[in-house]
Amino acid sequence: MEAHEVDAITGRFDHATLPANVKTGRDVWIERRASFARCRSAYRPGCVLGDRVRVHAWTTFNIEPDGSVEVGDDTVLVGATLLCAGRIRIGRGVVVSYGVTIADCDFHPIDPAARRLDAEANAPAADRSRRPPLVPRPVEIGDDAWIGIGAIVLKGVRIGRGARIGAGAVVTGDVADGVTVAGNPARVVAAGEVPR
Amino acid sequence: MTAPTGSRIVHDWFPQPLPTNVVLGERSWLYSAYAFVHCRSRRPVAVRIGADSGVYHGSFFDLGPDGEVDIGAFTTVVGAIFATDGRIAIGDHVMIAHEVVLADGFAATPDAPALGRPAVASRGEAPVIEIGSNAWIGMRATLLAGARIGRDAIVAAGAVVDFEVPAGAIVAGVPARIVGSCTARP
Repeated sequence: MEAHEVDAITGRFDHATLPANVKTGRDVWIERRASFARCRSAYRPGCVLGDRVRVHAWTTFNIEPDGSVEVGDDTVLVGATLLCAGRIRIGRGVVVSYGVTIADCDFHPIDPAARRLDAEANAPAADRSRRPPLVPRPVEIGDDAWIGIGAIVLKGVRIGRGARIGAGAVVTGDVADGVTVAGNPARVVAAGEVPR
Repeated sequence: MTAPTGSRIVHDWFPQPLPTNVVLGERSWLYSAYAFVHCRSRRPVAVRIGADSGVYHGSFFDLGPDGEVDIGAFTTVVGAIFATDGRIAIGDHVMIAHEVVLADGFAATPDAPALGRPAVASRGEAPVIEIGSNAWIGMRATLLAGARIGRDAIVAAGAVVDFEVPAGAIVAGVPARIVGSCTARP
Protein backbone atom coordinates (compact mmCIF):
# COMPACT_ATOMS: atom_id res chain seq x y z
CA MET A 1 0.00 0.00 0.00
CA GLU A 2 1.24 3.47 -0.84
CA ALA A 3 1.20 6.22 1.70
CA HIS A 4 -1.51 8.81 1.08
CA GLU A 5 -2.31 12.19 2.47
CA VAL A 6 -4.73 11.99 5.36
CA ASP A 7 -8.05 13.23 4.05
CA ALA A 8 -9.03 15.53 6.86
CA ILE A 9 -7.77 16.38 10.29
CA THR A 10 -10.22 18.57 12.15
CA GLY A 11 -9.82 20.80 15.13
CA ARG A 12 -7.63 23.85 15.45
CA PHE A 13 -6.59 22.62 18.87
CA ASP A 14 -4.71 19.79 17.23
CA HIS A 15 -1.06 20.79 17.19
CA ALA A 16 0.39 17.27 17.21
CA THR A 17 2.33 15.78 14.34
CA LEU A 18 1.49 12.46 12.79
CA PRO A 19 4.53 10.20 13.34
CA ALA A 20 6.38 9.40 10.08
CA ASN A 21 5.87 5.67 10.54
CA VAL A 22 2.08 5.88 10.51
CA LYS A 23 1.04 4.77 7.04
CA THR A 24 -2.41 5.71 5.86
CA GLY A 25 -4.54 4.51 2.94
CA ARG A 26 -6.90 6.55 0.76
CA ASP A 27 -9.52 8.82 2.30
CA VAL A 28 -8.50 8.13 5.88
CA TRP A 29 -10.06 10.45 8.45
CA ILE A 30 -8.19 11.20 11.66
CA GLU A 31 -9.91 13.57 14.03
CA ARG A 32 -6.93 14.22 16.24
CA ARG A 33 -3.29 13.63 15.42
CA ALA A 34 -2.57 13.43 19.16
CA SER A 35 -4.22 10.00 19.00
CA PHE A 36 -0.75 8.89 17.87
CA ALA A 37 1.24 10.80 20.52
CA ARG A 38 2.25 7.53 22.19
CA CYS A 39 3.00 5.64 19.00
CA ARG A 40 6.62 4.73 19.80
CA SER A 41 6.94 1.81 17.40
CA ALA A 42 10.42 1.36 15.95
CA TYR A 43 8.96 -0.34 12.87
CA ARG A 44 8.57 1.44 9.53
CA PRO A 45 5.66 1.42 9.25
CA GLY A 46 4.72 0.83 12.86
CA CYS A 47 1.05 1.57 12.28
CA VAL A 48 -0.86 0.94 9.06
CA LEU A 49 -4.38 2.30 8.50
CA GLY A 50 -6.29 0.96 5.48
CA ASP A 51 -8.46 2.92 3.07
CA ARG A 52 -11.32 4.97 4.55
CA VAL A 53 -10.38 4.15 8.14
CA ARG A 54 -11.92 6.64 10.56
CA VAL A 55 -10.13 7.44 13.81
CA HIS A 56 -12.24 9.46 16.25
CA ALA A 57 -10.82 11.76 18.91
CA TRP A 58 -11.10 9.28 21.79
CA THR A 59 -8.88 6.69 20.18
CA THR A 60 -5.25 6.37 21.27
CA PHE A 61 -2.48 4.26 19.81
CA ASN A 62 -0.09 3.35 22.64
CA ILE A 63 2.55 1.33 20.82
CA GLU A 64 5.81 0.21 22.42
CA PRO A 65 9.03 0.17 20.34
CA ASP A 66 8.57 -3.53 19.52
CA GLY A 67 4.88 -3.16 18.67
CA SER A 68 2.97 -2.67 15.44
CA VAL A 69 -0.71 -2.16 14.67
CA GLU A 70 -2.59 -2.83 11.46
CA VAL A 71 -6.14 -1.61 10.80
CA GLY A 72 -8.08 -2.84 7.75
CA ASP A 73 -10.11 -0.86 5.22
CA ASP A 74 -13.39 0.80 6.29
CA THR A 75 -12.83 0.18 10.00
CA VAL A 76 -14.16 2.77 12.45
CA LEU A 77 -12.25 3.34 15.68
CA VAL A 78 -14.51 5.46 17.88
CA GLY A 79 -12.85 5.14 21.26
CA ALA A 80 -10.22 2.44 21.22
CA THR A 81 -7.34 2.52 23.65
CA LEU A 82 -4.81 0.28 21.92
CA LEU A 83 -2.02 -0.94 24.19
CA CYS A 84 0.44 -2.75 21.95
CA ALA A 85 3.79 -4.31 22.81
CA GLY A 86 3.80 -6.86 19.98
CA ARG A 87 1.12 -7.01 17.35
CA ILE A 88 -2.52 -5.99 17.11
CA ARG A 89 -4.28 -6.64 13.82
CA ILE A 90 -7.80 -5.30 13.27
CA GLY A 91 -9.59 -6.47 10.12
CA ARG A 92 -11.79 -4.67 7.61
CA GLY A 93 -15.13 -3.10 8.40
CA VAL A 94 -14.67 -3.46 12.15
CA VAL A 95 -16.45 -1.06 14.50
CA VAL A 96 -14.75 -0.36 17.83
CA SER A 97 -16.98 1.67 20.16
CA TYR A 98 -16.40 4.15 22.98
CA GLY A 99 -14.14 3.28 25.88
CA VAL A 100 -12.81 0.02 24.47
CA THR A 101 -9.38 -1.23 25.53
CA ILE A 102 -7.42 -3.68 23.39
CA ALA A 103 -4.15 -4.87 24.96
CA ASP A 104 -1.76 -7.50 23.62
CA CYS A 105 0.29 -7.69 26.82
CA ASP A 106 -0.21 -7.70 30.60
CA PHE A 107 2.57 -5.07 30.79
CA HIS A 108 3.60 -6.32 34.24
CA PRO A 109 4.85 -9.73 35.44
CA ILE A 110 2.54 -12.12 37.30
CA ASP A 111 5.39 -13.32 39.50
CA PRO A 112 5.38 -11.20 42.70
CA ALA A 113 9.18 -10.81 42.93
CA ALA A 114 9.51 -9.71 39.30
CA ARG A 115 6.50 -7.42 39.77
CA ARG A 116 8.20 -5.72 42.69
CA LEU A 117 11.25 -4.98 40.51
CA ASP A 118 8.90 -3.64 37.85
CA ALA A 119 7.23 -1.33 40.37
CA GLU A 120 10.62 0.06 41.38
CA ALA A 121 11.76 0.52 37.76
CA ASN A 122 8.51 2.41 37.06
CA ALA A 123 9.01 4.93 39.87
CA PRO A 124 9.11 8.58 38.75
CA ALA A 125 12.88 8.92 39.19
CA ALA A 126 13.84 5.34 38.25
CA ASP A 127 15.44 3.87 35.13
CA ARG A 128 12.70 2.26 33.03
CA SER A 129 15.19 0.34 30.95
CA ARG A 130 15.54 -1.92 34.01
CA ARG A 131 11.96 -3.11 33.69
CA PRO A 132 11.50 -6.86 33.20
CA PRO A 133 10.89 -7.68 29.50
CA LEU A 134 7.31 -7.40 28.22
CA VAL A 135 5.74 -10.66 27.07
CA PRO A 136 3.13 -9.88 24.39
CA ARG A 137 0.74 -12.25 22.64
CA PRO A 138 -0.81 -10.97 19.40
CA VAL A 139 -4.43 -9.88 19.20
CA GLU A 140 -6.38 -10.39 16.01
CA ILE A 141 -9.86 -9.03 15.30
CA GLY A 142 -11.64 -10.45 12.26
CA ASP A 143 -13.41 -8.57 9.50
CA ASP A 144 -16.80 -7.01 10.29
CA ALA A 145 -16.57 -7.65 14.05
CA TRP A 146 -18.24 -5.21 16.44
CA ILE A 147 -16.69 -4.31 19.78
CA GLY A 148 -19.27 -2.82 22.16
CA ILE A 149 -18.93 0.13 24.52
CA GLY A 150 -16.36 -0.31 27.26
CA ALA A 151 -15.26 -3.81 26.31
CA ILE A 152 -11.76 -5.02 27.19
CA VAL A 153 -9.95 -7.37 24.82
CA LEU A 154 -6.88 -9.00 26.33
CA LYS A 155 -3.67 -10.55 25.04
CA GLY A 156 -3.66 -13.54 22.71
CA VAL A 157 -7.35 -13.14 21.81
CA ARG A 158 -8.57 -13.96 18.31
CA ILE A 159 -11.99 -12.53 17.55
CA GLY A 160 -13.66 -14.17 14.57
CA ARG A 161 -15.24 -12.59 11.52
CA GLY A 162 -18.53 -10.90 12.21
CA ALA A 163 -18.38 -11.58 15.94
CA ARG A 164 -20.15 -9.23 18.36
CA ILE A 165 -18.61 -8.24 21.69
CA GLY A 166 -21.20 -6.93 24.15
CA ALA A 167 -20.79 -3.69 26.07
CA GLY A 168 -18.50 -4.05 29.08
CA ALA A 169 -17.36 -7.56 28.16
CA VAL A 170 -13.90 -8.69 29.24
CA VAL A 171 -12.65 -11.00 26.50
CA THR A 172 -9.94 -13.37 27.68
CA GLY A 173 -10.24 -16.16 25.09
CA ASP A 174 -10.93 -16.65 21.41
CA VAL A 175 -14.34 -15.75 19.99
CA ALA A 176 -15.57 -17.83 17.05
CA ASP A 177 -16.83 -16.35 13.79
CA GLY A 178 -20.26 -14.75 14.04
CA VAL A 179 -20.98 -15.41 17.71
CA THR A 180 -21.96 -12.84 20.32
CA VAL A 181 -20.21 -12.76 23.70
CA ALA A 182 -20.91 -10.65 26.79
CA GLY A 183 -20.04 -10.38 30.46
CA ASN A 184 -16.94 -10.52 32.62
CA PRO A 185 -15.45 -12.96 31.84
CA ALA A 186 -17.08 -12.94 28.41
CA ARG A 187 -19.32 -15.91 27.62
CA VAL A 188 -21.15 -16.83 24.41
CA VAL A 189 -24.69 -15.46 24.60
CA ALA A 190 -25.78 -16.02 21.01
CA ALA A 191 -24.61 -18.03 18.07
CA GLY A 192 -24.81 -16.21 14.82
CA GLU A 193 -24.19 -16.28 11.16
CA VAL A 194 -21.10 -14.92 9.59
CA PRO A 195 -22.10 -11.96 7.46
CA ARG A 196 -21.14 -12.21 3.84
CA MET B 1 9.02 16.68 42.38
CA THR B 2 8.48 16.96 46.16
CA ALA B 3 6.47 20.13 46.49
CA PRO B 4 5.95 21.43 50.02
CA THR B 5 2.32 21.13 51.06
CA GLY B 6 0.12 24.06 50.18
CA SER B 7 2.37 25.11 47.31
CA ARG B 8 2.02 24.99 43.54
CA ILE B 9 3.36 21.98 41.66
CA VAL B 10 6.03 23.26 39.26
CA HIS B 11 4.59 21.65 36.13
CA ASP B 12 0.96 22.30 37.04
CA TRP B 13 -1.52 23.88 34.61
CA PHE B 14 -4.18 24.10 37.31
CA PRO B 15 -4.01 27.54 38.93
CA GLN B 16 -4.44 26.42 42.53
CA PRO B 17 -1.97 25.25 45.16
CA LEU B 18 -2.01 21.80 46.65
CA PRO B 19 -4.37 21.52 49.62
CA THR B 20 -2.44 22.00 52.84
CA ASN B 21 -3.37 18.50 54.04
CA VAL B 22 -1.73 16.71 51.12
CA VAL B 23 1.74 15.28 51.76
CA LEU B 24 4.03 14.19 48.93
CA GLY B 25 7.05 11.98 49.55
CA GLU B 26 10.56 12.37 48.19
CA ARG B 27 10.88 11.86 44.42
CA SER B 28 7.14 11.26 44.12
CA TRP B 29 5.22 12.67 41.16
CA LEU B 30 1.71 14.07 41.04
CA TYR B 31 0.20 15.22 37.74
CA SER B 32 -1.78 18.19 39.04
CA ALA B 33 -3.49 19.80 42.02
CA TYR B 34 -6.61 19.24 39.91
CA ALA B 35 -6.68 15.76 41.48
CA PHE B 36 -8.03 17.46 44.62
CA VAL B 37 -10.78 19.53 43.01
CA HIS B 38 -13.34 17.39 44.89
CA CYS B 39 -11.26 16.83 48.01
CA ARG B 40 -13.26 18.12 50.99
CA SER B 41 -11.40 16.25 53.67
CA ARG B 42 -10.81 18.08 56.96
CA ARG B 43 -8.44 15.41 58.22
CA PRO B 44 -5.00 16.69 59.28
CA VAL B 45 -3.57 14.56 56.46
CA ALA B 46 -6.13 13.90 53.73
CA VAL B 47 -3.78 12.30 51.24
CA ARG B 48 -0.29 11.01 51.87
CA ILE B 49 1.77 9.85 48.89
CA GLY B 50 4.94 7.97 49.81
CA ALA B 51 8.44 8.33 48.36
CA ASP B 52 9.10 7.29 44.75
CA SER B 53 5.40 6.92 43.98
CA GLY B 54 3.61 8.34 40.94
CA VAL B 55 0.01 9.53 40.67
CA TYR B 56 -0.82 10.19 37.04
CA HIS B 57 -3.44 11.87 34.83
CA GLY B 58 -7.02 10.96 35.53
CA SER B 59 -6.56 10.26 39.22
CA PHE B 60 -8.97 12.01 41.56
CA PHE B 61 -9.33 12.17 45.31
CA ASP B 62 -13.05 12.73 45.88
CA LEU B 63 -12.95 12.73 49.67
CA GLY B 64 -15.62 13.64 52.18
CA PRO B 65 -14.91 15.58 55.40
CA ASP B 66 -13.54 12.45 57.04
CA GLY B 67 -11.87 10.96 53.99
CA GLU B 68 -8.25 9.86 54.09
CA VAL B 69 -6.00 8.09 51.56
CA ASP B 70 -2.60 6.71 52.47
CA ILE B 71 -0.36 5.56 49.59
CA GLY B 72 2.98 3.82 50.20
CA ALA B 73 6.34 3.99 48.43
CA PHE B 74 7.15 2.88 44.87
CA THR B 75 3.44 2.73 44.14
CA THR B 76 2.09 3.65 40.71
CA VAL B 77 -1.44 5.03 40.32
CA VAL B 78 -2.00 5.39 36.58
CA GLY B 79 -5.55 6.67 36.92
CA ALA B 80 -7.80 5.91 39.85
CA ILE B 81 -10.75 7.62 41.47
CA PHE B 82 -10.73 7.46 45.25
CA ALA B 83 -14.24 8.25 46.55
CA THR B 84 -14.53 7.83 50.27
CA ASP B 85 -15.48 9.41 53.54
CA GLY B 86 -13.43 6.79 55.36
CA ARG B 87 -9.87 5.61 55.11
CA ILE B 88 -8.27 3.92 52.10
CA ALA B 89 -4.83 2.38 52.74
CA ILE B 90 -2.50 1.34 49.92
CA GLY B 91 0.86 -0.36 50.50
CA ASP B 92 4.26 -0.19 48.81
CA HIS B 93 5.08 -1.40 45.28
CA VAL B 94 1.39 -1.43 44.36
CA MET B 95 0.41 -0.93 40.71
CA ILE B 96 -3.02 0.52 39.94
CA ALA B 97 -3.94 0.74 36.25
CA HIS B 98 -6.14 3.27 34.46
CA GLU B 99 -9.83 3.91 35.14
CA VAL B 100 -9.82 2.06 38.45
CA VAL B 101 -12.43 3.14 41.00
CA LEU B 102 -12.10 2.74 44.77
CA ALA B 103 -15.37 3.81 46.33
CA ASP B 104 -17.28 3.23 49.56
CA GLY B 105 -20.62 4.69 48.49
CA PHE B 106 -19.72 8.24 49.34
CA ALA B 107 -20.26 10.80 46.59
CA ALA B 108 -18.22 13.99 46.86
CA THR B 109 -20.98 16.45 46.09
CA PRO B 110 -20.37 19.95 47.45
CA ASP B 111 -22.85 19.55 50.31
CA ALA B 112 -22.16 15.88 51.02
CA PRO B 113 -22.69 15.12 54.69
CA ALA B 114 -20.34 12.96 56.69
CA LEU B 115 -21.73 9.44 56.83
CA GLY B 116 -22.43 9.54 60.55
CA ARG B 117 -18.84 8.66 61.36
CA PRO B 118 -17.14 9.66 64.61
CA ALA B 119 -15.58 13.09 64.76
CA VAL B 120 -12.29 13.57 62.96
CA ALA B 121 -10.05 13.59 66.00
CA SER B 122 -11.41 10.41 67.54
CA ARG B 123 -11.43 8.13 64.54
CA GLY B 124 -8.98 5.25 64.47
CA GLU B 125 -10.98 2.65 62.63
CA ALA B 126 -9.72 0.13 60.09
CA PRO B 127 -9.58 1.22 56.45
CA VAL B 128 -12.76 0.74 54.42
CA ILE B 129 -10.59 -0.37 51.49
CA GLU B 130 -7.09 -1.76 51.80
CA ILE B 131 -4.50 -2.83 49.22
CA GLY B 132 -1.51 -4.83 50.46
CA SER B 133 2.03 -4.24 49.25
CA ASN B 134 3.05 -5.47 45.80
CA ALA B 135 -0.56 -6.02 44.71
CA TRP B 136 -1.60 -5.21 41.16
CA ILE B 137 -5.01 -3.76 40.30
CA GLY B 138 -5.88 -4.19 36.62
CA MET B 139 -7.46 -1.65 34.35
CA ARG B 140 -11.03 -0.57 35.13
CA ALA B 141 -11.33 -2.75 38.22
CA THR B 142 -13.70 -1.52 40.94
CA LEU B 143 -12.90 -1.90 44.63
CA LEU B 144 -15.87 -1.31 46.92
CA ALA B 145 -16.10 -0.98 50.70
CA GLY B 146 -14.82 -4.14 52.32
CA ALA B 147 -12.26 -4.85 49.63
CA ARG B 148 -9.03 -5.99 51.28
CA ILE B 149 -6.49 -7.01 48.70
CA GLY B 150 -3.73 -9.19 50.15
CA ARG B 151 0.00 -8.84 49.48
CA ASP B 152 1.13 -9.80 45.96
CA ALA B 153 -2.46 -10.40 44.83
CA ILE B 154 -3.76 -9.52 41.36
CA VAL B 155 -7.18 -8.05 40.60
CA ALA B 156 -7.84 -8.63 36.91
CA ALA B 157 -9.16 -6.08 34.42
CA GLY B 158 -12.74 -5.01 35.04
CA ALA B 159 -13.19 -7.09 38.19
CA VAL B 160 -15.49 -5.86 40.96
CA VAL B 161 -14.28 -6.72 44.47
CA ASP B 162 -15.88 -6.06 47.86
CA PHE B 163 -14.33 -8.85 49.91
CA GLU B 164 -11.02 -10.01 51.30
CA VAL B 165 -8.64 -11.35 48.66
CA PRO B 166 -5.95 -13.65 50.10
CA ALA B 167 -2.28 -12.82 49.61
CA GLY B 168 -0.99 -13.89 46.19
CA ALA B 169 -4.43 -14.74 44.80
CA ILE B 170 -5.67 -13.75 41.34
CA VAL B 171 -9.30 -12.62 41.20
CA ALA B 172 -11.33 -11.81 38.09
CA GLY B 173 -14.87 -11.26 36.87
CA VAL B 174 -18.10 -9.59 37.99
CA PRO B 175 -18.60 -10.41 40.76
CA ALA B 176 -14.95 -11.31 41.22
CA ARG B 177 -13.98 -14.88 41.99
CA ILE B 178 -10.61 -16.37 42.84
CA VAL B 179 -9.32 -17.82 39.58
CA GLY B 180 -5.74 -18.65 40.51
CA SER B 181 -2.63 -17.82 42.39
CA CYS B 182 0.36 -15.86 41.20
CA THR B 183 2.73 -17.65 43.54
CA ALA B 184 1.84 -21.27 42.68
CA ARG B 185 0.79 -21.15 39.07
CA PRO B 186 -0.95 -24.18 37.51
